[in-house]
Amino acid sequence: MAVTTKKAKTKEPKTKITWKEIKRQKVLLFWSAVFVVYGFIFYYLPLGGWVMAFQKYKPKDGFLHSAFVGLSNFTQLFSDKSFLRVVRNTLAMGAINLVLTFVTAIAFAILLNEIKSKAGKKTVQTISYLPHFLSWIIVTGILHDALSGSGIINEILMKLNILDQPLNFFAYPKYFWWIVGFANVWKETGWNAIIYLSAITAIDPCLYEASAIDGAGRWARIKHITLPGIKSTIMILLLMNIGNVLNAGFEVQYLLGNGLIQSVSQTIDIYVLKWGISQSDYSLGTAAGIFKSVVSIILIVIVNQIAKRTGDESLF
Amino acid sequence: MKQKELKVRPKKNKTSIPDKLFTVCNTIFMLVFVVITLYPVLNTLAISFNNGTDALRGGIYLWPRQWTLQNYKTVLQKNNLITGAYVTVGRTVIGTVFSLVTNALLAFIVSRKRFLFKAQLSLFWVITMYVNGGLIPVFMLYKNLNLTNTFWVYVIPGMISAFNMLVIRTYMYGIPDSLEESAQLDGAGYMTIFIKIISPLCKPVYATVALFSAVGHWNSWFDAMLYNRMSNQYTTLQYELMKLLSSVTNQGASAETMKNAVSAVTPTSVRAAATIITMLPIVCLYPFLQRYFVAGLTIGGVKE
Amino acid sequence: MKLKKAAAILLSAVMAAATFGGCGNTGAGSADSTKVTSDSSDNGKIKEFTAFLAVPGNEINDDNEVQQKITELIGAKVKEVWLTGQTAEEAVGTMIAGGEYPDFIDGSDGMAQLYDAGALVALDDYIDDYPNIKSFYTEEQWESLRQEDGHIYWMQQFGNIYEKDMSTLPMEAFWIQTRVLEWDNYPEIKTLDQYFDLITRYNEANPTMEDGTANIPYTILCDDWRYFCLENPGMFLAGYPNDGSCIVDTETLTVVDYNTNSSTKEYFRKLNEEFKNGIVDPESFTQIYDEYIAKLSSGRVLGMVDQYWNFGYTVIDSIKTQGLDKQGCSYVPLPITLDENVQSQWYTAGGSINVASGLAITTSCKDVEGALQFLNDLLSPEVMTLRSWGIEGVDYLVDEDGVFSRTDEMRANAADTAYKASHLCTYSYFPNWVGMSHDGINAAGPGDQPGEFFDGLPVDTQKCLEAYGCYTYLELLGITEIPGPWYPMWSFSNSFTTSTTGGTAWVKVAEVKHEYLPKVVMAQDFDSAWDEYMGVYEDCSPQDFLAELQTELDRRIQLAAE
Repeated sequence: MAVTTKKAKTKEPKTKITWKEIKRQKVLLFWSAVFVVYGFIFYYLPLGGWVMAFQKYKPKDGFLHSAFVGLSNFTQLFSDKSFLRVVRNTLAMGAINLVLTFVTAIAFAILLNEIKSKAGKKTVQTISYLPHFLSWIIVTGILHDALSGSGIINEILMKLNILDQPLNFFAYPKYFWWIVGFANVWKETGWNAIIYLSAITAIDPCLYEASAIDGAGRWARIKHITLPGIKSTIMILLLMNIGNVLNAGFEVQYLLGNGLIQSVSQTIDIYVLKWGISQSDYSLGTAAGIFKSVVSIILIVIVNQIAKRTGDESLF
Repeated sequence: MKQKELKVRPKKNKTSIPDKLFTVCNTIFMLVFVVITLYPVLNTLAISFNNGTDALRGGIYLWPRQWTLQNYKTVLQKNNLITGAYVTVGRTVIGTVFSLVTNALLAFIVSRKRFLFKAQLSLFWVITMYVNGGLIPVFMLYKNLNLTNTFWVYVIPGMISAFNMLVIRTYMYGIPDSLEESAQLDGAGYMTIFIKIISPLCKPVYATVALFSAVGHWNSWFDAMLYNRMSNQYTTLQYELMKLLSSVTNQGASAETMKNAVSAVTPTSVRAAATIITMLPIVCLYPFLQRYFVAGLTIGGVKE
Repeated sequence: MKLKKAAAILLSAVMAAATFGGCGNTGAGSADSTKVTSDSSDNGKIKEFTAFLAVPGNEINDDNEVQQKITELIGAKVKEVWLTGQTAEEAVGTMIAGGEYPDFIDGSDGMAQLYDAGALVALDDYIDDYPNIKSFYTEEQWESLRQEDGHIYWMQQFGNIYEKDMSTLPMEAFWIQTRVLEWDNYPEIKTLDQYFDLITRYNEANPTMEDGTANIPYTILCDDWRYFCLENPGMFLAGYPNDGSCIVDTETLTVVDYNTNSSTKEYFRKLNEEFKNGIVDPESFTQIYDEYIAKLSSGRVLGMVDQYWNFGYTVIDSIKTQGLDKQGCSYVPLPITLDENVQSQWYTAGGSINVASGLAITTSCKDVEGALQFLNDLLSPEVMTLRSWGIEGVDYLVDEDGVFSRTDEMRANAADTAYKASHLCTYSYFPNWVGMSHDGINAAGPGDQPGEFFDGLPVDTQKCLEAYGCYTYLELLGITEIPGPWYPMWSFSNSFTTSTTGGTAWVKVAEVKHEYLPKVVMAQDFDSAWDEYMGVYEDCSPQDFLAELQTELDRRIQLAAE
């Protein structure tokens, strides 16, 4: 009676483009055309602004009259050791955040689902996503306080005799990336788990009952029903977030960074703020933006191909 | 019918001890998690009820040291807050509806097995997630479309979001083709299938996307600032509150500029009160949506 | 089928709204921004202007009482919008790209962009028609505001002194708690060594506050752009005033880099020494602004370098409310240099204006003459008193000699955010006189009123000032004359951008200093750490920005000579 909740991923024959088929799908085609027009206007048209990256753009001259400088903005970026360093930082933090937030969000969703009491489930879930609504200013303020010399983390560590004097976590580059990762997990786990919880509800409860009859324990149930049940959601989110790895942030790193650790704390966006926007140099910011987009798309295409090969969900 | 009450008991006993252990561990974990997650919120709440000058000293954890309602008064008497609230509620409702309808329809189209251009259309939208023209080009586009200085700039540009669309699409993939096919055999067109058959089964994901969209609209202020900066009537709640928080961090300013802006420092406690005020409505919204996150809604009625 | 139709209609409506929704609103939407009535026939209509000020600030409420009074008097008002969540350059850049501006604008760091874009209205031809505006500046000052194309576009709002400089508050200084001075019987502290020596001795004798929490002898703030607390004392300690980015040698009229000179090195060597002695707070280099203020407010910090506006308003208040001033925890400044024989120039007398930015009228303003009239009226004595002091009887009292004073309640109100929004209207970024009030008796604002100022001080500060025979902080710190027509050089260096090699060097140097100055203070071996820092510093080509500063210095001197 195994009602699968997924389509069988066998290679489906591609539907041939014939007039008959077009007429049959005319509703679909009409609306997709409408959406394409919308998308073109709002998402693709502004890309004309990318021309700023090849100019020395000044707002008063506009796109048409600003001086053309070819690739010099890009060469300026890539020859700046500072920029390469921030790319490294952004990638590192992006990767760490990706892994941490994924694992914690999924684990949390699954564990939450295993709570029997409905009221308990609801309460925990409501509380879990509350930090998402706090601004980073507040969260980093609390985090900074907790990690300071007189803060609670140091207190605990000293009581447990792991440290014999307070450690200033923000003075050492090696901790920073993990602190940022933890901050993201703290703030976003509950919120990120919402999607997975919603996906879990889509799993046919009959499957669970059937497995209970077959004698499957909790762990087996999770492994064989819950996880496969939300696999497609996990895959899609993973694919989309891999593309975002260079958007690892601005606010957190800006608020938590300081002079001593700036070599690891600065991200591409902070670099753009310092060298681009604050200098009224919009061209540099656009060039960095193009760089990020290109990398993201390359990553997406690669990962998408891999996903297709393994027969799983793919983005396109 | 009495037959339903016959429960198969025997095998259950074998798993009860590891099962109980799991439950205990899970409960402990959840408690710890709740404490860690709740702490920043309670801390903010405590600071919001604490006197501003006293809050400067730090050292407030879970309970206010000098109780006062002054911070809330300061926030609530802010100019234009009511207008901002109306606009925000308006954009949240209208924006979420627009968003849900369009994303759902697009997801539906793209998830139809026989749709001729589904790969291309998906690609078209996926790319939009990773490319951005930049602040100024987008601003100029909206200006040329006459969207600036209006309410519509809030709900029209961001209507279709590839992210939300893909989430819905993934969900729709999970609905068996047999439903669509049997409906088509009965003579239903695509729109009917979308509205009457697929959508009712998508309630959990619709609720999710509605939540994301609503929260996005509720929290946004940057667009209000960019496109409606000087306007009194189209300001949003968050933008008004954000104005209260100005001067707290200022990126890249110079000391000489800041010294003249000194009287603008807003106490931490007012910041905290503003945060709580913003959070409250969303927290109240969630229970309404929670009833859609219920198991078993999807595959009801499938006879295989 | 009905449902299907309804859905189709809904969707079509959505799409139609997308296409047409925006278009119909051109008139309705944008009309809100400049509600200026025609100027020819006023008859009682209130003129409303809009202003964007690219600095942080607090909006006043629409029903603000003082604003209403001012509006009644002059028949015009302005809606001020402040900078939020963006940098000034970005906000201004977006406005320029859009081509639409509010009536008034102060672009702050983005002023140059506005000028380049031709967004501003030239004021020269109008000035003579408005007496208050004309008399706001001397001929010389107006000339200094003239741009390259020969016109004057903006009025700098701050630093313009009427009659007498009544300032009471210092800028940057080495601060010390009054209890430390009191403990040693209010000694003369003139050098850096004496300063740290006193703090060390006091800390040994009294390591804790009354309630047992440990003192923090000395802390430094270097969070982000506030790191002047760490990086520029070397300039003052050598006996020079605040030119911000360099030292100007008055004899040779050349620009000298204070980052590399011996006084700065000595200053950091001293810090390094004190760090090793445990006097300097080890958290100095990682603390954020909120933490720093919390430490100061708790009364535990014995001394630090800072600019008054950065901590004074919040911390002093907090100390007073907690009653810590009775324990002597408020701060007073000290005129320290490296050597007894070198005269310090911590505070330079006012009267020099920052010509790099100011309030301007934009090309979007439909009623330039009305706007100028508004500015003119804001400078009339009666309105200025309303702006700076408030409403008589409510915000201040007048005695039989015409001297203004305030009660404690009035002072508390003036500091309260909600009260300020609903009741006080300073139009702070519109031109205003400081110094004396036009009535000849009082100061322009309560902060500068001598009696008022002293009465508002915490008790321990009053005691301390009296012990030194002073009435204000500045008397303790000393006021020095403006060194020359180039002062202040920071008004030029603030406008550096990476479009020049000097500007690029400037940004690089700042980055290097952020990283290496803390390292130098914390280093085990100071000399090798300093050499390493110097090596990296030289790699940034600092001579580029020094050269640019020199060019500007020469230009300013020449301009003054004409």
